[in-house]
Amino acid sequence: MSPLDSTIRDAATAQPTIGRPKDYLHEKSTLASWFFTIDHKRIALLYLASITGFFVIGAFAAGLIRLALVVPNGQIFSNDTYNKLFTIHGVVMVWFYMIPSIPTTLGNFLIPLMIGAKDLAFPKLNLTSWYIFMGGSLFTLFTVLVGGVDTGWTFYAPFSTTFSNTWVIPALIGVIIVGFSSILTGLNFVVTIHTMRAPGMTWFRMPIFVWTHYAVSLIFLLATPVITIALSLLVLERGFGIGVFDPALGGDPVLFEHLFWFYSHPAVYIMVLPGMGVISEIVPAFSQKKLFGYRFIAYASISLASLTFFVWGHHMFVNGQSEMASISFSVLSFAVAVPSAVKVYNWTATIYRGSLRLDTPMLYAMGYIGLFVIGGLTGLFLATLSIDEHVHDTYFVVAHFHYIMVGGTVLAFLGGLHFWWPKMTGRMYNEAWGRVGALLIFLGFNVTFFPQFLLGYLGMPRRYHQYPPEFQLLNILSSAGSTILAVGYFFPMIYLVWSLWFGKRASANPWEAKGLEWSTSSPPPTHNFLAEPVVDFEPYDYPIKARERV
Amino acid sequence: MNPSDYPLALWPPAASVSAASTDHLIISFTVLTLFLTVPIFIAITFFAFYYREGTKANRDHLNIRDSRLEMAWMIIPFVLTLFFFVWGAQMFHTHKHAPANAMEISAIGRQWMWKFQHPGGQWEINDLHVPVGQPIIVNMISQDVIHALYIPAMRIQMETLPGRYTSLWFNSDRPGVYRLFCSEYCGTDHSAMDGLLTVMEPAAYAQWLSHAGTSTSLAAAGKALFSTYGCSGCHAAGSNVRAPSLAGLYGNPVPMQAGGTVLADDSYLRDKILNPDGNLIAGYKQVMPSFKGVIAEDDLVRLVAYIKSIGQQSASIGGDAGSGGTAGSVTR
Amino acid sequence: MSAVGVSPVGVELREQFNNTAQQRHAATMGMFIWLITELLLFAGLFLVALILRITHPASVTAAAKHFKFWIGATNTAILICSSLTMSGAIELSRLGWQRGMVRFMLATASLGSLFIVLKGYEYVVDWQEHMVPFFLDRSYALAGDSASELFVNLYFATTGLHGLHLITGVSILLVLTRQAAAPGYLQRHQNRIEIYGLYWHFIDLIWIIVFPILYVLNR
Repeated sequence: MSPLDSTIRDAATAQPTIGRPKDYLHEKSTLASWFFTIDHKRIALLYLASITGFFVIGAFAAGLIRLALVVPNGQIFSNDTYNKLFTIHGVVMVWFYMIPSIPTTLGNFLIPLMIGAKDLAFPKLNLTSWYIFMGGSLFTLFTVLVGGVDTGWTFYAPFSTTFSNTWVIPALIGVIIVGFSSILTGLNFVVTIHTMRAPGMTWFRMPIFVWTHYAVSLIFLLATPVITIALSLLVLERGFGIGVFDPALGGDPVLFEHLFWFYSHPAVYIMVLPGMGVISEIVPAFSQKKLFGYRFIAYASISLASLTFFVWGHHMFVNGQSEMASISFSVLSFAVAVPSAVKVYNWTATIYRGSLRLDTPMLYAMGYIGLFVIGGLTGLFLATLSIDEHVHDTYFVVAHFHYIMVGGTVLAFLGGLHFWWPKMTGRMYNEAWGRVGALLIFLGFNVTFFPQFLLGYLGMPRRYHQYPPEFQLLNILSSAGSTILAVGYFFPMIYLVWSLWFGKRASANPWEAKGLEWSTSSPPPTHNFLAEPVVDFEPYDYPIKARERV
Repeated sequence: MNPSDYPLALWPPAASVSAASTDHLIISFTVLTLFLTVPIFIAITFFAFYYREGTKANRDHLNIRDSRLEMAWMIIPFVLTLFFFVWGAQMFHTHKHAPANAMEISAIGRQWMWKFQHPGGQWEINDLHVPVGQPIIVNMISQDVIHALYIPAMRIQMETLPGRYTSLWFNSDRPGVYRLFCSEYCGTDHSAMDGLLTVMEPAAYAQWLSHAGTSTSLAAAGKALFSTYGCSGCHAAGSNVRAPSLAGLYGNPVPMQAGGTVLADDSYLRDKILNPDGNLIAGYKQVMPSFKGVIAEDDLVRLVAYIKSIGQQSASIGGDAGSGGTAGSVTR
Repeated sequence: MSAVGVSPVGVELREQFNNTAQQRHAATMGMFIWLITELLLFAGLFLVALILRITHPASVTAAAKHFKFWIGATNTAILICSSLTMSGAIELSRLGWQRGMVRFMLATASLGSLFIVLKGYEYVVDWQEHMVPFFLDRSYALAGDSASELFVNLYFATTGLHGLHLITGVSILLVLTRQAAAPGYLQRHQNRIEIYGLYWHFIDLIWIIVFPILYVLNR
């Protein structure tokens, strides 16, 4: 350990209790100090509160959907109500929870800490992004709750432009506005990572978490404008009949599918990549071992972000797209599996000969690996042309992407939240409750979604309000699982909030993890570090245990 | 046996050779994925207990990277899965090319019903009857939004688009009653846009046809409409408007004014009826009015069937009529 | 503004940065990235325009013949001139010649306004010639040719979006000019002129792509 190295750590850990500067949470406590803060850590907490709210609303809609599907004849809700419910679930979960979830909360909080910066490059822009996000999302939320929209989160033309009688335009406008918030967040991250790294923090000393957020920001920047213009054309088409997607005028509804999936497939990686970053931090910390194949994982993140722009057509194997196009998109989709597989194998190799602690974050990480693998491989099934011809738009697809999104994003988000909770709040949560919650979520999730693979292969199409009676038992099983899942979600919401007041005080580094964010106090002071850190150590600086006999 | 008689289904019936091979494909693929993942799951679980903090275990490690290992676990699984890509793509290719002797059913999707029409002109709503052992090609178009025709027992589906024909085909080898669905979300009653596919012995099918309403074939009905809508006024031989003859047109390339040719298929004919101003044909002055909003979708299907039938009847003179219609640039 | 002389040039350091070089680098990079996303936004429209051109060449040509080529060409020249004046403003801001810079910025704003006026005139002519198919109450000059209708609508969407950018640009420029005229401005915020200049050049660049795609290619 070099002298410079020790100075940072001393600065952080050897804080005397008296005379310690106020941390970012307690520096000021007026309402205005929160709503007009430009501290990335406080903005992260603003986001955390907002997306948790959206998650609860989306989950509530999901609960009602599962309730409706207990009976095959659709008697619990009317068809229109059911359609509005799954639209609320999709719109809220995808646009307002999944896409912003990890980047805007954990990413916002940790990127400056991890690279040794005082803040993001554009703190005011960061706050503006939050206001834009809240403006757009609350507007759309109001629309879908009060007026109701029945197009699904995919807004396919010409249904959304001509045939739906619901409040499509306001919902679209809200989603477009939220898109700008994503762009600004991505822009802020890219500039910060490029220009704000502490002395000595070279690219290959950055934690994988930062790498994956860099990759995600690139997707935000390159894909979001395309969905913005596609949705704007949809608005113009519905409002003025400009006809780009209208076959009656010589336009083409399939063009919308192309523009939509050109964004929305990369959006899947917006949801998944940050999760991979979180897992790449948790696994080494709880194995007390260096991350295996650091560079391969870093490269895999970037190659995922680039490959994902070339596979959108695999959502359109059955819409009359040319055979050659379908075949190319199919093989490219197989190629996307490679960087994903790299990560899974590397995490496993990291655990090998480690010194494991199965605390709550690690339980979430292991659950993540399991579910992500199942989700990824069923993704390969879907990329296989003739299988997709059968299970396209069935519950098989629904199960697949829930394994990726809930298994991937939500578990990683919860794992990361537990892992960095002491850093964010300065408090420890109750470990026993945490483990029970993690296990319940894992169990409930599998009971809910595994039967849906079978339902899909049997041929139950998605977005069905009523269904043939022979599908009922599997649907009941799935609904039963969702109640376990719901109970599981209540656990962290209760004990994490409880810990804010009654939790044990956390030390600067309760997990004995490596990384700059653990070298400052918990919670950190307003400008993160008391002195600018200088980095002269490699990432994941866990001790290498060489053979003692040598 | 009716599909709803099964109290709990775990695997769908496979009613065609192609459906059975989709099942083989997915089962083999599942076996491969188990082979790739079960070791990881076992390893993670085992490591989690064996290397728990405080247990006695060998924790020596020097390697924190190993490029050869990385390459191995990148390339080997990829190559193994590629085998399934090829298998799937081959089947997909077959699904895209119906055999020449396929019987043609035309389908119209609209919110929220299917209308199927048999070659003899008989039509039915939501349900479809077909003979066993005979390739069936369903040509589809939508009157409003995007739908998709999905027959799980055949393991096949295809989107039904407005303004453009799409098709799927199957060859059932097992008589029975199966379900068909709309699988692309299309609005309020999306989930009610389903029906039953009855696969029957050919004799039973013939009998069913004879009891099922109209006996006018699609093409014959189209011929009547050809006069009703005034098409014959220009396109019939001996008319005094110089319009191309439609005999032998179907299935042949048509030269364009802008250069190049376009194949005269179903979608092309429909387009020219609705939008004659687009894609002008070489050698003719464009005088035809648009029939958009005049001819309903099911009448269009009949008209196209008729033009198709005269294309096939005069296959021998098809070349003549085709070139006469295109190279004959002498104004009468 | 009191003296004709040269004022000192510099940037006020914000607290999240360690030095002004880092701050300038971040600001420039941020603007470039934003402009790339803007370019992608327009790219969606260009893509649709090219697809229409391929699928309905005759209708697109018929529609494009109604567009006022000379107004478009004049506007292109105007925007190129405005880019020149903006470059002049940036160059003078680096030298600290505040008064000259303000004049160049006002010139840029007037050229931008001239563009908007000409574009507005073109819209009026379009209206008079019945080339506004999205107004359902007004008859359409090429009625029956629905694909041309689509292209004309796309023309309005694209030029409208560009016009929106230009109106925003001129408004920001006027506010910025007012601020930049205050004494000591260049000492604290010189890089804002440069950053804004990037945006202005970008608006110009977009028009240089729009003009051939809508007006020239299809004639």
